[in-house]
Amino acid sequence: MKAQTAQNLLYAILTIPLGVVGGTFKFLSRLRANRAGFIGFLGLLAYFVLTFIMPGFIPFDSEVNLDEIAGPVGSRIQLAVHADNAELQTFEDLAGLTVGVVDQTGGPSLIAPYADSINIEKYRWTSRRAGPGIRAALVDLTNKEIDAMLIFSKNVEEIRADADDPELQALFAEHIVISNPELGPPHLLGTDTQGRDIATHIVHGGRILILTAFIGGVIATLIALVFGSLSALVGGALDSALTALTNLVLAIPRFPLLVVLAGLIRFDNMLFLGVLIGLLGWPPLMRAIRAQVLSLRERDFVEAARSLGLSTNHIMFREILPNMASYVMINFIFSITFAMYEQIGLLVLGLAPIDDYTWGVMLYFGRSRGTLYNEDGASMALSPVLAIAFFQVCLVLFARALEEVFDPRLRAAV
Amino acid sequence: MTSHSGDIQLDTSGATGPVHAVQRLLTKYPIHKNYNVRVFVQAILTIWAIMSFTFVLVRFMPGNPVDILIEQILTQEGISYQEAYDRVAASFNIDPNASMLDQYLDWFTDLLRLDLGTSITSPGTRVVDEIARFLPWTLFAVGSGLLISFVLGIVLGMMMAYYRDSVLDHTLSLISSFFTGVPNYIWGLLIIIGPGISWRWFDVGAARGTYDPGLTPGLNAAFIASVCEHALLPIITYVLATLGGWMLSMKSSTTSVLNDDYVNVAEARGLKDRRIITSYVGRNAALPLFTQLSISVGFVLGSGVVIEEIFVYWGFGHYLFASIVVRDYTAIQGAVLVLTTAIVLSNLFADLTYGLLDPRVRISGEK
Amino acid sequence: MSQQRDAVLRVEDLSIIYRSKRGDVKATSNVSFDLYPGEALALIGESGSGKTTISLALIRKLPKNAVITSGNIHYRRNGSVQDLLKLSNRQLREFRWKDCAMVFQGAQNAFNPVLKIRRQFEDTAQSHGWTDKAAIRERALNLLELVRLDPERVYDSYPHELSGGMKQRTLLALGVLLNPQIVILDEPTTALDILTQRAIIDVLNDMQRQLRFSIIFISHDLSLAAEMADTVATVYAGQIVEIGPVNDIFYRSLHPYTYGLLTSVPTLEHLQDHLQSIPGSPPNLINPPDGCKFHPRCAFATDTCHKDSPPLEHDIGTHLAACWHKDRLLESRKELV
Repeated sequence: MKAQTAQNLLYAILTIPLGVVGGTFKFLSRLRANRAGFIGFLGLLAYFVLTFIMPGFIPFDSEVNLDEIAGPVGSRIQLAVHADNAELQTFEDLAGLTVGVVDQTGGPSLIAPYADSINIEKYRWTSRRAGPGIRAALVDLTNKEIDAMLIFSKNVEEIRADADDPELQALFAEHIVISNPELGPPHLLGTDTQGRDIATHIVHGGRILILTAFIGGVIATLIALVFGSLSALVGGALDSALTALTNLVLAIPRFPLLVVLAGLIRFDNMLFLGVLIGLLGWPPLMRAIRAQVLSLRERDFVEAARSLGLSTNHIMFREILPNMASYVMINFIFSITFAMYEQIGLLVLGLAPIDDYTWGVMLYFGRSRGTLYNEDGASMALSPVLAIAFFQVCLVLFARALEEVFDPRLRAAV
Repeated sequence: MTSHSGDIQLDTSGATGPVHAVQRLLTKYPIHKNYNVRVFVQAILTIWAIMSFTFVLVRFMPGNPVDILIEQILTQEGISYQEAYDRVAASFNIDPNASMLDQYLDWFTDLLRLDLGTSITSPGTRVVDEIARFLPWTLFAVGSGLLISFVLGIVLGMMMAYYRDSVLDHTLSLISSFFTGVPNYIWGLLIIIGPGISWRWFDVGAARGTYDPGLTPGLNAAFIASVCEHALLPIITYVLATLGGWMLSMKSSTTSVLNDDYVNVAEARGLKDRRIITSYVGRNAALPLFTQLSISVGFVLGSGVVIEEIFVYWGFGHYLFASIVVRDYTAIQGAVLVLTTAIVLSNLFADLTYGLLDPRVRISGEK
Repeated sequence: MSQQRDAVLRVEDLSIIYRSKRGDVKATSNVSFDLYPGEALALIGESGSGKTTISLALIRKLPKNAVITSGNIHYRRNGSVQDLLKLSNRQLREFRWKDCAMVFQGAQNAFNPVLKIRRQFEDTAQSHGWTDKAAIRERALNLLELVRLDPERVYDSYPHELSGGMKQRTLLALGVLLNPQIVILDEPTTALDILTQRAIIDVLNDMQRQLRFSIIFISHDLSLAAEMADTVATVYAGQIVEIGPVNDIFYRSLHPYTYGLLTSVPTLEHLQDHLQSIPGSPPNLINPPDGCKFHPRCAFATDTCHKDSPPLEHDIGTHLAACWHKDRLLESRKELV
């Protein structure tokens, strides 16, 4: 009996992934009809590449550049010099000269290593956009009061496009040369409150979240599967007890409970959080699976198996489980989205470990350090916001496409 | 029914205890078979179970809040263990000298009298008063958000079903996937970053709190306008985050109703389109959504913790979070109990009103 | 045309196709018939033969993928004739139920489960201009009585409180609520037990006698047709292959298909060993066979049948049949008897 159970379990363990893989192929072959699902699937692949493969090639930018704070999206540091001194190309050329930098635009941090050899003239970055600080520095540059200035490419463009003073523009166009485009790497997504490149954080910040959500989803699905099918197949007192337990856990609001637990226990490990999310997340799925097993139990092929005198575990593993694989798969994906929702919610509140610099932690800092409320710095919050949002949307699109591709009767039975 | 009464007769021959009296009464008036009664009793039992669970958690668990607090007070204030214990026990409504059963009963009767103890971090403040102060704001925001999205979702979902496989349907279902997939706090952040910061449609800072300072609460226009203004962002967030679910449910529900014979017959009967859409299609298709509405009340109330933090809206979620941050255990306990009760009650409400909406449940007592 | 009495409904050359992924399904081809006041016309045939398509076309409730490729349907009311295929939406809505009511197959789900029967009667009447609820009630109670139900109780019930037979009869009462000229009955007795079937037939006969409407009913139940119809039309592969007075059809059928249908039904008069089924299955309507569509299954088929489609021709009086070998069929029947 025991050996048979083990054999059946082995069978299930072998066939479920096969079923999932087979189902995925079936699904892919029907994708022409479901463009949204295809987009979701491609999106998930892209996320896999982004979070699991790209970190191997793109190093995490942990170098704190306190002055390169909240650099605008898509900009790099550039050197502006007077047209008469167009030969100035590198930092070495600047030795002994006076260089203007505007704080919060990144210049000072780049110049820091050369601080001994260069005279630094600081300008205050006073307003949000096309600030007078930058303009003042440029005016000084045209008047040769300073010899060069370091500036973000984006700010330069804005100053040049600023049409309210054509005279000034003409002056700039005549006297200022933006040279040496290689200075500083371009910040695709700008820089954060410590002057670090946000794009590298996005690349590195997803893996742990996705793993945690995956663990949470697996645990919730497994518990739901075991409880749900036991409840439906054994019935009687066990069914009543499990159903009562489920209803009780369902009545406790999951997310606030997590918030309370996280607030009191203070996790130090994201994966532990994933386990906890899984332990709290099974009840809705358990109900659905119980209903599903109950309805499958009444189907002809299961009736037939039972009338042949086949054992309960044969019926469960050979007849019912394979027929539920797609249904379980879909619900598994949805439980991943819930786990993602919950852990990032905790992170936003600052109740989850912030040692790993994830998208959630970026959100937390974006909010707590106020860059969220700063137009130029919003990228620090907006980038992870979009990363999370699109990940969740891809999951939902994919799950819904699966729902449509697989047996529609399963959907009706929920 | 017949077999049941047979059982009772076997059991009660000659017996006179209260249990048997109850059994006899139930045989005579089978109220336990009544749907409403069953649902009601179930709700009461759930609330009771969760209250007891909380009691056990606070009182017996290793590392329970009582022990932790005593430890804290001992290290901070250097008073005797007994003094510290008494103070903590008083906050939790626990009489340390009574037997466990008496403690439990005391604590329970206090709960029934809506006495949730006093705050630990601000002594003298009754938790129940604090909750009563914060909860209405959340109920207002969550309630109106859910109501708007429910109505909107029903309308849009029906449109999707009526124009199935059209461009409109595909667009709306893509949008609904976005609405469902994107977490509600992400919507909140997007609202702040987009319309709030980049486009400056409103002043993010001014939207904090539940109403503008300096206004007298009451039924005056300025106050009501201010309340709505402050609740607007949370409401929009709740709407965005829940709309997709309603749209999709309503679409699938309407699609199945449209295939039902009675809709076809209603058209053949020459009924006016409006009548068919409202009373024949809409009403039947919306029925299953009411159960979902009750479930989502709980979910949305719970998710209010993050939303209210993001918008600095001083409602129940804000209170819960603030209590957690300062580890005000009695406040947390009270908040969780109230939240759970609210969820159970909203489920109960849905179950009871479902009978009014669907005559089939009213008669048979089964869903 | 003009030599005949005024038909209440005249269907001419009606062809309908369903667009599908695999091709166009020719659901009905060149169907023509007349329906006279007070007449009961039975459309009989196997499932999928196009009976229901014809009746749905009459109330313009064809599925969205259906296209009417030819023909017209003339409806006569108070001496003026309308083409049903040219009605505006508003006219169509008014036409439905007031002029032509259709009692659908499977009345089990014909009523809105959340509204009382009363509301559904009122909805119907109010949509067609009635305003006086008391008058609606009186008329409804009369009709419910006519279908032998307890009028007061049924009128204030929800649909789920009624049994299947009661719902069917309630639907009949609802069908004649607005005093229509035509009532279409789609399989009015299937899914009912034999006693209820009997009761429904009696009720129908009663009602038709008292209310004088025309009936089109669709059935594969020949005994029902024999009992109720004045005229019987046999539908095969979307065409009317034989139409005529009920006695002519039953005792002197001229089309092998009609004859096949008759001999496949056990009756008390026929001996058991005469019972036989029609070999083969109905043709694929996406690519129907050339010539007579019945020829692949027909015992009398010849080369002519393979090539040419037989016209629907007069035999005696109003009895028409589309077959090249009517004579041989009649001969063979004589031998059998």
